[in-house]
Amino acid sequence: MSIPTLQGLQTALSGLLAEQQAIDTTGHNITNANTEGYSRQVAVLQTNDPMRIAALSPTNGEGAQLGTGVSVATITRIRNTYLDAQYRTQNAGLGAATTQANELQQAQSAFDEPSSAGLSSQLSAFWSAWSELADTPSSEAAKVSVVTAGTQVADTLHEVNAQLQTIQAQAAEQYNAITGPSGEVHADATQIAQLNQQIKLSLQAKQQPNDLEDRRDLLLDKLSELGNVTVTKEANGTDTVAFGNAAQPLVEGSTVTWPQALTSAAGGKLGALLELASPEGALAKYQGALNEVAKTLASTVNALHTATPFFSGATAATIAVAVKASQVQTAGPGNPEGNEVALAIAGLRGGGAEAQYAALIAQVGSDVQSAKSDATNAQAVVTAVGGQRQSVSGVSLDEEMTNLITFQRGYQSSARALTSMDEMLDTLINHTGVTGL
Amino acid sequence: MSTRVTTEMVMGSTLADINNAQLAMDRTQNELSSGKTILEPSDNPYGASQVITLQSSLDGLTSYEKSAQSGISWLNTASGALANINEVSQRVRELVVQAANGINNKSDLENIADEVQQITETVKQDAATQYAGQYIFSGTATGTAPYEQGEGKDAYKGNEGSIARAVAPGSSVNISVALASVLGNGQASGDGKLLDTLRTITQNLREGTPAAIEAVSGADLKALDTNLEALANVQANAGAVTDQLNTAVTRVQDLQTTTTQQLSNVQDANIAQVAVEFSSEQSAYDAALRAGASIVQESLLEFLH
Repeated sequence: MSIPTLQGLQTALSGLLAEQQAIDTTGHNITNANTEGYSRQVAVLQTNDPMRIAALSPTNGEGAQLGTGVSVATITRIRNTYLDAQYRTQNAGLGAATTQANELQQAQSAFDEPSSAGLSSQLSAFWSAWSELADTPSSEAAKVSVVTAGTQVADTLHEVNAQLQTIQAQAAEQYNAITGPSGEVHADATQIAQLNQQIKLSLQAKQQPNDLEDRRDLLLDKLSELGNVTVTKEANGTDTVAFGNAAQPLVEGSTVTWPQALTSAAGGKLGALLELASPEGALAKYQGALNEVAKTLASTVNALHTATPFFSGATAATIAVAVKASQVQTAGPGNPEGNEVALAIAGLRGGGAEAQYAALIAQVGSDVQSAKSDATNAQAVVTAVGGQRQSVSGVSLDEEMTNLITFQRGYQSSARALTSMDEMLDTLINHTGVTGL
Repeated sequence: MSTRVTTEMVMGSTLADINNAQLAMDRTQNELSSGKTILEPSDNPYGASQVITLQSSLDGLTSYEKSAQSGISWLNTASGALANINEVSQRVRELVVQAANGINNKSDLENIADEVQQITETVKQDAATQYAGQYIFSGTATGTAPYEQGEGKDAYKGNEGSIARAVAPGSSVNISVALASVLGNGQASGDGKLLDTLRTITQNLREGTPAAIEAVSGADLKALDTNLEALANVQANAGAVTDQLNTAVTRVQDLQTTTTQQLSNVQDANIAQVAVEFSSEQSAYDAALRAGASIVQESLLEFLH
């Protein structure tokens, strides 16, 4: 049994082709080294089916299998789906924590504490004005400054309250913008559905759609910042995507089901926005506490200022000074120039309203503090998981350069094998049987 | 399996480290330039609420100090007026003794009577002393003079109310001086107080009869002495209240010092410490930049030909 004469050429050729594909893959990796969401690809080399030779040995009749070269079995992407799932879970947490921290930070700025412009300073100035009036109960100027200080307290309460309401309304607006028909969720889901379709067709054609899968994974990563994402890999290569706590899958095959109702349990940025916009959220709680401050202030001052209520309104939005300077009461009836009422009101310093406000500021401060540290922690975890993913899937230029040289040498060697083969055939064809010619 | 390190990981972590170093420096820089360690409540939530409370009580202490100081000025004015009244009343006493020595003729007695009458008006004028536009001897009716000038107009126009100055939370000092209890309501009321006594003396002197002169040196002098004693009591009382206010001012100032210190402990940055932190952060930043610059440039590409 003999070997086909030209088999060696075929074997060397398979080497040339396979090395070339491997170099092409390396080139693809290098050019995409900085592409977001790209996973490095590897050309998986595999030996060709061997040639079976029955009874190769004339002495003992044993057969053998002769190698016939190499081919690229598949080009695969290096990706760990477990890390993807972990990354998306943590990314949803990061989205929620960052949003929470940013919005609460804005609320904290609205209070403008500690500063000379904050409510605490205005309240303190108000008590000082009463104390001054107590020293000069008949002074018109002292009465005017009591009214001015009171008006400033009321204005500051209005302003802080209005800013809190604006921040809350903006959270709702942001939610609507993201979930609306031209929002991110719908746009991302539509692209995922399209990619699902393309991937399914590619797989049916037995082509590994590495780059399409990378693009789909990147979209899923982006979506996970907005809400919890759970991906189910279907047998046909499509991803079924459950989003937030929506009742229906957001994407199933090439179908997008959106808009759907979410709650604050949706996780991610959207969950946080819903929580902030809700009447039970932190912003609403601050407004409630601010209303309590306004109510206590109005009721404690009015209880002493008996002739006519000093403050009207009992919420942060409605509180206002209800008296003119001439109506400011310094003493009880029948004692117009006394100062016991002014003294008693000045004595409210450090009392209910102020204590409530100080507690509110401590509450806001610790909420922001914990939101910030949540965000920092979430960022650290996402960075760590992202690093692990990069470690698996990222392109290392040093590695690619090494591969490039390896495959280049492989290509050169295959070419050299081809040349040897060619010289052998030259000897056989052109120089055999020509002796004596 | 050892961890692969990819180009993007190196770039990413270099950038993140530089960014973190800058963030830390920014924070420290803010502390240094503002001199405060609590820039917003989230820096120290409990501290921020303490700052609010302490700042307010500091403002309150300033108010108490102002009130006490104004009370002291009020009482100083009152003491001046009381001293005047005391002085002229002593002059009346001298005149009474002079009138009683029996060698005065009718016109001498008239002259003495004129002077006593003049002094009576002076006393009422002193009683109408004002502090910052307020009559200080009219009780709480600080817009009304306690006595009108002129004979037969000796009734007290003020009230019995008292003016107080707050000197500490829940504690106030009564700064009203009860001069009306010494001056009384004049002859018409027959209350035997200073104005009544002075009018009676004038009347008896003008009468000039031996019986009248005897009354002047007897019952009238005795009544005058009683009045002077009451006046001295009121003066002593005003002095005691002034002392009380002075003590209050000292205490408030002590409290201001300790509260300011507490406030500073809570909210002020320890500049020395922050400056040291800043320079160590600067070194860290410098190191991050240097390391980044060299690691980002290195690549296998440098060595392949």
